[in-house]
Amino acid sequence: MDFLNPVIDGFGVVLQPTNLLYCLIGVVIGMLIGVLPGLGPAATIAILLPVTYGVEPVSAIIMLAGIFYGAQYGGTITSVLLRLPGEASSVVTVFDGYALAKQGKAGTALGVAAIGSFIGGTVSIIGLTLLAPVVAEVALDFGPPEYAALSLFGVLLVATVGNGGRTKSVIAAGLGLLLATVGRDTFTGASRFTFDTLNLADGIDFVPIAMGLFGLGEILHNLEERHRTVPAPAKITNVWPSRADLRQSSGAIGRGSVIGFVLGVLPGGGATLSSLVAYAVEKRRAKHPERFGKGAIEGVAAPETANNAAATSSFIPLLTLGIPANATMALMFGALLIQGIPPGPQLVSEHPDLFWGVVNSMYIGNILLLIMSIPMVGLFVKILRVRPAILAPITVLITLLGVYTVNNQVFDIFLVIVFGVLGYLMKKFGFEPGPLVLAFVLGSVMETAVRQSLLIFGGNPAGFFTRPISGTVLVVLIAVLALPAIRWAMRRRSVESRDEELV
Amino acid sequence: MRLIQVVSVTAAVALLTGCGGVKTTATGGDGEFPTGNIQMSVGASPGGSTDLITRAIAEGVGKELGVSVPVVNKPGANGALNAKELQSAKPDGYKIAVQNASLFTITPLAVSANEAVKLDDFDLIGGISQDDYVLLAPAASAVKSIADLKKSGKNIKYGTTGVGTGAQLASALAFKQAAIPATDVPFDGGAPALTALLGSQVDVATIQVGDSIAQIKAKKVVPLAVFSAERIKFLPEVPTAKEQGYDVVVSQYRFLTAPKGTPEPVKAKLLDAAKKTFATEAYKKFNDDHCLTPIEGSPDEVRKILDEYATKYKAQLDQYQISLGKK
Repeated sequence: MDFLNPVIDGFGVVLQPTNLLYCLIGVVIGMLIGVLPGLGPAATIAILLPVTYGVEPVSAIIMLAGIFYGAQYGGTITSVLLRLPGEASSVVTVFDGYALAKQGKAGTALGVAAIGSFIGGTVSIIGLTLLAPVVAEVALDFGPPEYAALSLFGVLLVATVGNGGRTKSVIAAGLGLLLATVGRDTFTGASRFTFDTLNLADGIDFVPIAMGLFGLGEILHNLEERHRTVPAPAKITNVWPSRADLRQSSGAIGRGSVIGFVLGVLPGGGATLSSLVAYAVEKRRAKHPERFGKGAIEGVAAPETANNAAATSSFIPLLTLGIPANATMALMFGALLIQGIPPGPQLVSEHPDLFWGVVNSMYIGNILLLIMSIPMVGLFVKILRVRPAILAPITVLITLLGVYTVNNQVFDIFLVIVFGVLGYLMKKFGFEPGPLVLAFVLGSVMETAVRQSLLIFGGNPAGFFTRPISGTVLVVLIAVLALPAIRWAMRRRSVESRDEELV
Repeated sequence: MRLIQVVSVTAAVALLTGCGGVKTTATGGDGEFPTGNIQMSVGASPGGSTDLITRAIAEGVGKELGVSVPVVNKPGANGALNAKELQSAKPDGYKIAVQNASLFTITPLAVSANEAVKLDDFDLIGGISQDDYVLLAPAASAVKSIADLKKSGKNIKYGTTGVGTGAQLASALAFKQAAIPATDVPFDGGAPALTALLGSQVDVATIQVGDSIAQIKAKKVVPLAVFSAERIKFLPEVPTAKEQGYDVVVSQYRFLTAPKGTPEPVKAKLLDAAKKTFATEAYKKFNDDHCLTPIEGSPDEVRKILDEYATKYKAQLDQYQISLGKK
């Protein structure tokens, strides 16, 4: 029971009125910035950092953490309503979320996403409470070879998540992989496809690609559609998920929580991969996988649950090892230093009040977010009642503004327009942008990891199979790839033998 | 109704980003400076050392001069993108930036000439601080010094914070001088390199002291050498590479710059405000927290430090036939 004492003390810390207030401020700001594409939690926390100087350490970190996971809730809203995924981890949500919104079921999608996010977040916090130190040690076994294997797995999954033809998905994914090679080679410093502009030296940013292909592409396509037919205004049939919807998504939420927690611990890219894996698992398990992409509620529940669970578990490396897993965590690191609390392996033992205060504040924050989300759902779905003639220009404006705020570069605005046109053309010719965007994100992870691994192995590719985790992933991968071929061969043989019998 | 919502959210974000659109009517180099906001741009994402240093200085300079000093992140090409923008900005003191020495002294050794940035294209305001590198091994390994690495007799896989960084240069020089066969494994910054080291994915790694001090203190990693000229106060018991017999002195150094042609009185005023910031307890604590050694020299001193580094690195790379870019 000694173990539980600091946990309970932690609740004492959170339930102080000031800390509750900071938690509320944090999640409200987080949700707002999450709604806006572009401006992410990292930039917001950077701006608010000076505000935290005068605040108690625990309160400051509780607020900043709230911004981070609050943003995950907010990101769903634009993905579903406007087809604008604010972060790589919500790209998958767009597939079914936007399809549901078009059918007038935006409320269902947002409601299920909110509930899934709440459950995923909470499961992950429980995992964080009980398993943090153990999980952190295991995560260290994930080196470049494991990332290489996992991202390869991810890229292959991409081809199965698209709901256009398989060939078209593969073509789009191939384009995504090519786009990922743009920029300065991280190993030799050579410039690749940068056309001598420094703006491309670091490659293309995720945000202009996603905003252009999904958001602008959709708007351009709608413009054309409207010339042909007068669309009936989207009816909003139900604002809240029915009991059947909830029953249908319960499995997806459960599996998404676990997938998100596990993959989120991995530093870098965990959240995106988890949302993709969660979606693919649901599609594979479904009796009617063809529903996916056309408004399957599990297709929203699974990735939204997973990315929230992943956002929470990405705190584990920071709080237990002192390693910031992403830009937002790097700022948390800075915030802790300012408060005179160096984040590191000794944080839990030296500052248990801070550790447990922050962890427990996430329980409260998630409940606050759920409570806020419910009335918000009704409010946000009304956006769809706005006439496209008014909504579209506002969306374009917000998109361009959002894209600019990421790197403060006008160049990115042009980039988003280029990708908008590409998105329009893709939609017109029946290509899905999803596989492109996901392959783009995973492609750069894969390239770096493969090349790092080969350096570590001294150039011997057999090294991937000598390590337990990367070896297992690759063997499973090969088995999955080979399975259809073997099955086909078996069926063929049985058909042949039957033919022989007939003769 | 809904329009108002959207607009109000946009307004909230505009406030958050600080892009309030305040007009900066510069009058030039008279005593009036500053009459408007001073923008400090950062050639890196939020959260990195350069970003945090800029924010700490912006806070102090803003208070000192009585104007707001918004910080704008313009990441890209190791800071070259931001440098080029600053270079073409109006030289009136309303746009300044903290820049890294490595951009001028090391990166040009690794990237193509048209991406390189020259120091002569900027006016220097003053020096800020030095950020040192430390060579680390996992706690589990028996290695305690560079000599131990040599004794192991195997090809050492070393993690660095990326191509064209001080970490890469320092490790390459050290291994070459010690005649240790070694392979460079670049990571995207300190955190992933440290993660790989903690998981023993690489044999050793060179990382900024501020990024690894907590793990060193927790004895999760063992420091083998610091690459500064003398021992640093944050790791007093760790010998320098020089003490161990290798002529490797590589540090990151940051300084305040303005576009070329900024009037002297404006620069003097900015330097004065920066110096007053440096003298505050809060800023001194910031330096200590991030393991930064203040070297708050004059523009001439900064230029001298940078020139010395640049000449020395170039000569050493030629001498040991090391190519950072591996083209």
